[in-house]
Amino acid sequence: MPDFSILTENFDIYLHGFRNTILASVIALLGSFAIGTVIAVFRITPIRPLRWAGAMYVEFIRNIPLLLVVFVFFYGLPSLGITLSGFVCGTLGLMIYTASFIAEAIRAGIMSVPKGQLEAAQASGLTYVQAMRYVVLPQAIKIVIPPLSNQSLNLIKNSSILGVFAGLDLMYFGDQIASRTYVTFDTYIFVALFYLVLTLPLSYMARQLERKLAKSG
Amino acid sequence: MIEFRQVEKHYGSFHVLKEINLQIEQGEVVVVVGPSGSGKSTLLRCINRLEAISSGELTVNNSKVNDKKTDINKLRRDIGMVFQHFNLYPHKKVIDNITLAPIKVLGMTRQEAEKTAMYFLEKVGIAEKAGQYPSQLSGGQQQRVAIARGLAMKPKVMLFDEPTSALDPEMVGEVLDVMKALAREGMTMVVVTHEMGFAREVADRVVFMDQGQIIEEASPGEFFSNPREERAKLFLNRVLNH
Repeated sequence: MPDFSILTENFDIYLHGFRNTILASVIALLGSFAIGTVIAVFRITPIRPLRWAGAMYVEFIRNIPLLLVVFVFFYGLPSLGITLSGFVCGTLGLMIYTASFIAEAIRAGIMSVPKGQLEAAQASGLTYVQAMRYVVLPQAIKIVIPPLSNQSLNLIKNSSILGVFAGLDLMYFGDQIASRTYVTFDTYIFVALFYLVLTLPLSYMARQLERKLAKSG
Repeated sequence: MIEFRQVEKHYGSFHVLKEINLQIEQGEVVVVVGPSGSGKSTLLRCINRLEAISSGELTVNNSKVNDKKTDINKLRRDIGMVFQHFNLYPHKKVIDNITLAPIKVLGMTRQEAEKTAMYFLEKVGIAEKAGQYPSQLSGGQQQRVAIARGLAMKPKVMLFDEPTSALDPEMVGEVLDVMKALAREGMTMVVVTHEMGFAREVADRVVFMDQGQIIEEASPGEFFSNPREERAKLFLNRVLNH
């Protein structure tokens, strides 16, 4: 049995970190969905320079460790005279990093919608953007939900990177408690439990959503 | 209203359309026949620029289809298209399949668009399916919805790209009947098909293609009873005698 006094005596600290982990995750998630969608559209447009830019983004960011992406914000920006907190740097890095994976998932989803759908929509006079919005994307979303929920779960877990940069998240405060109490193992068991409180319901919701979408047409 | 002048098309090194010259007048029903891979579908898909031509000139209603200055979306409003695999939107109900373009492209109100959609659904004989999803319909019913979807834009011409090729044999008739009715009402139609009976009965003109070229153009009576070209004779022998 873990030592529950670690949890009860440090509950406020855990909770503080837990809140920041949620905050960082929500901001990074919303941001990475927005950026990822734009990049995905870049990668499939008929406009070549945009396709290039999209491919560069995905290939560079996806193939660098997350830690180094955050380094860019934490150590790179100060040399340009911009200093951001660990929380902001970690969240931005997480956003930029996850966006590359989300872009790929969305692109794969769009590509899996039969070409005839876009053709039928365009043949009826819809513009490319309208055809995407009303015909292709709504179908792609169903295909994209499983990989996107995966990415969301990864993002929440990866948010522990904030701990490295004094980001005031769950992992950061876990480190603090462990180094103060020397009850290292038990401290991190509770950290893990807090992550599970976040990720398990999300995982469950994703499955429900999948099931619901599978039913409708 | 549709005119091909010396149109050529290449896919890389593959020469799909060669020296196409063809004129289609308003109210005409032109049926394009020929062996698979002869370029019939490509020819059709050039008309609304689902395929770009490599050279030559193609005009629809006096607009150059491949001119950068031509608003292709505007031109496409007047060109309805029916595909071999229906291409209905699976996430939308039948009625919403039909109202999408009239609402988003023509700016109709939902009410207006639904009224129009119901009119055309009745015309193709499946008004009772309006609230269902395409996957709940048979192939023949889906293709009739696709025809209604095309008509709802009140196009000046309808293109049919092998509209019965993906259907079970017992459903071919119901789709052809709708197309015949449309032809009788004076709709301008360009139909790529393997249904020789339809061509014979409905076409004003039959265009026979082989290897990217138009080999013969004739009235159906002439074409079926007395084809001039050797390749057309061979083709008719194969499709009619079996």
